[in-house]
Amino acid sequence: MKPAPTLLSPAFLHPAGQALPEPLLALRKQRGAALVDMPMPTRKTENWKYSSKYLKLTDEMATSLPTTGKTGSALAVPGYKVVFINGVVMPEASEYPDLDNIRIQRFGDLSDAEASDLVERLDSTLDAKAVQFAGLNTARFEDGLVIRLKPDAALDQPLFIIHEVTADASGSAFPRIFVDAGRNSQLTLVEEYISSGEEAVFVNSVTEFTLAEGANITNIRLSMGGENVQHIGATGVTQQRSSRFESHCVGFGGPLRRHDLRVRLEGKGAECKLNGVVVTQDTQHYDNHTTIEHVAPNCDSEETYRNIAADKSHAVFNGRIHIHPDAQKSNANMSNKNLLLSTGAEIDTKPELEIYADDVKCAHGATIGQLNEESLFYLVSRGIGRREANVLLTMAFINELVTQIPVEAVRDTVQARLSQFFDQAFQEV
Amino acid sequence: MLSIKNLHASVEGKEILKGINLEIKAGEVHAIMGPNGSGKSTLSQVLAGNDAFEVTSGSVTMNGENLLEKETEERARDGVFLAFQYPVEIPGVSNLQFMRTSVNAMRHHRGESEMNAAEFMKLAREVSKQVDLDPAFLKRGVNEGFSGGEKKRNEIMQALMLQPKLAILDETDSGLDIDALKVVSDGVNALRAEDRAILMVTHYQRLLDHIVPDFVHVLADGKIVKSGGRELALELEDRGYAWLGIKDDETAANSAN
Repeated sequence: MKPAPTLLSPAFLHPAGQALPEPLLALRKQRGAALVDMPMPTRKTENWKYSSKYLKLTDEMATSLPTTGKTGSALAVPGYKVVFINGVVMPEASEYPDLDNIRIQRFGDLSDAEASDLVERLDSTLDAKAVQFAGLNTARFEDGLVIRLKPDAALDQPLFIIHEVTADASGSAFPRIFVDAGRNSQLTLVEEYISSGEEAVFVNSVTEFTLAEGANITNIRLSMGGENVQHIGATGVTQQRSSRFESHCVGFGGPLRRHDLRVRLEGKGAECKLNGVVVTQDTQHYDNHTTIEHVAPNCDSEETYRNIAADKSHAVFNGRIHIHPDAQKSNANMSNKNLLLSTGAEIDTKPELEIYADDVKCAHGATIGQLNEESLFYLVSRGIGRREANVLLTMAFINELVTQIPVEAVRDTVQARLSQFFDQAFQEV
Repeated sequence: MLSIKNLHASVEGKEILKGINLEIKAGEVHAIMGPNGSGKSTLSQVLAGNDAFEVTSGSVTMNGENLLEKETEERARDGVFLAFQYPVEIPGVSNLQFMRTSVNAMRHHRGESEMNAAEFMKLAREVSKQVDLDPAFLKRGVNEGFSGGEKKRNEIMQALMLQPKLAILDETDSGLDIDALKVVSDGVNALRAEDRAILMVTHYQRLLDHIVPDFVHVLADGKIVKSGGRELALELEDRGYAWLGIKDDETAANSAN
């Protein structure tokens, strides 16, 4: 007889914050009720196989982190930004664009009619069965942001969303964003996940994008939380005709890092480009699960993920491409390359292709390797120090992806974090 | 400058160098010739410090210092330069970044200040012209997608940038057409200097028409079996390696063609 599965602790099913329109409160309640018998993932849960052992939620972490008090150490970023502290927007730290055709509203500021409309659309980009923790976010969010781009709206500079958790006590945060991109609208949205404080905390975030015909959205996601932060995040995207979605996910490891990215190409001629870089060290973990659904014909997807694992860390990549029967002339490319910097590090990679149309181009490749000894010898034979040679070659592995990040301030942040990573990863070289 | 005494080296337990003795003085150009498998490339790699090769006995000193106990990068900073027979392609690291890091590592070692990007660029453009490489190459990945000839010219370009004390050229002529051979030879001849030694390793003597050596050594089965002046190379050209009692499949095959 199978032992009864461990369920999500009921302590996690008590949302805080009641300052939301009635339809959203009702949705939250409904989702919470559906999670009463949610089993916690184990190593037998297929999509958590390599990561379940890192998920260690305690009841102390179930309480929502307080939203008053210090406003945190949000990065000094230029231009438009919205700062979330512990899942709640801090208007005083934020700077909204003042444009008629771009509307940014907190969940709490929505009218009941607007909230009802949002309820219809929340979670529509994510398959709740496949991404259970997205449902937990919906059951727990206390605040959130709806970003509506009217047709042809374009923001002249990136919009930064800073998600900070202040971990002065154990607890959790549930930031939520919904982007509704109208016809031919354009936006670059940068999400930065950071933390302060030392106590064990849980971040459960969800960001959704719906792209109407011709919309062009770039999403940069930087995961830089501390060693005390377990983070399960999901990004869901639906794309209509001829829309374009570009994603740059850069992740630094932690005790538990999980990101599910799901893109549905629903309209003819839509295209997506998904880039990902993950670096892990010490005993850190990072798990990227991506799914691209080619639903409509003539869509292109291009996915390039690179993992670098040092010390005794563990990176996971699972990339699924699903080509539906009607999606003829689909063009899908997926590449995942992995670099192990130590014999104690582990990387698990699994490309999955499901193809139900017969006229498609679909390519995938995955490799795992170490730094090339011949290349190292070539560099040091020119007087370059071993440490620097290691750094050059490791950077070379991800350089192409880092340079493609279209926002300079983000590239600088990434470079600075990578320098810290190299200092430690190659300290004994 | 360089003194090699009774050098033995092996790779994966197989002895390749079986007692090499060689003295090279500053200002001299030495050529080491020999059939494939004689140990020419092994000697180059051992001098540069490739730890895939194990030195089992003997000594190598450069300017009185024990070369063998130094790391590869220390040897390079002390002035040892190896032009690789098969230069490595490193996508993701630009030639510019690579060479600038290298030049500055050397300068740092000598207690000099680093070259800034503009100074470096000026120097790199000049030297790239000297070896007839389009400066656009500087922006590409190290040797990435280079033809065989371009790779060899890139090696000589690096030698010219780094101005080593001892330049070891491993089969620098292989894979070059006659024009490229001329360019590479001119580059090597530009390196000739009173305070610099050059050690050329080659299978054929045609390179020696362009870069005239002071001494020629014949390497066979891990030992130098004959040394002489330039005329020794010409004699090898005429008579092949067989007159020295050396088996050389490739020369024999070429003669047959």
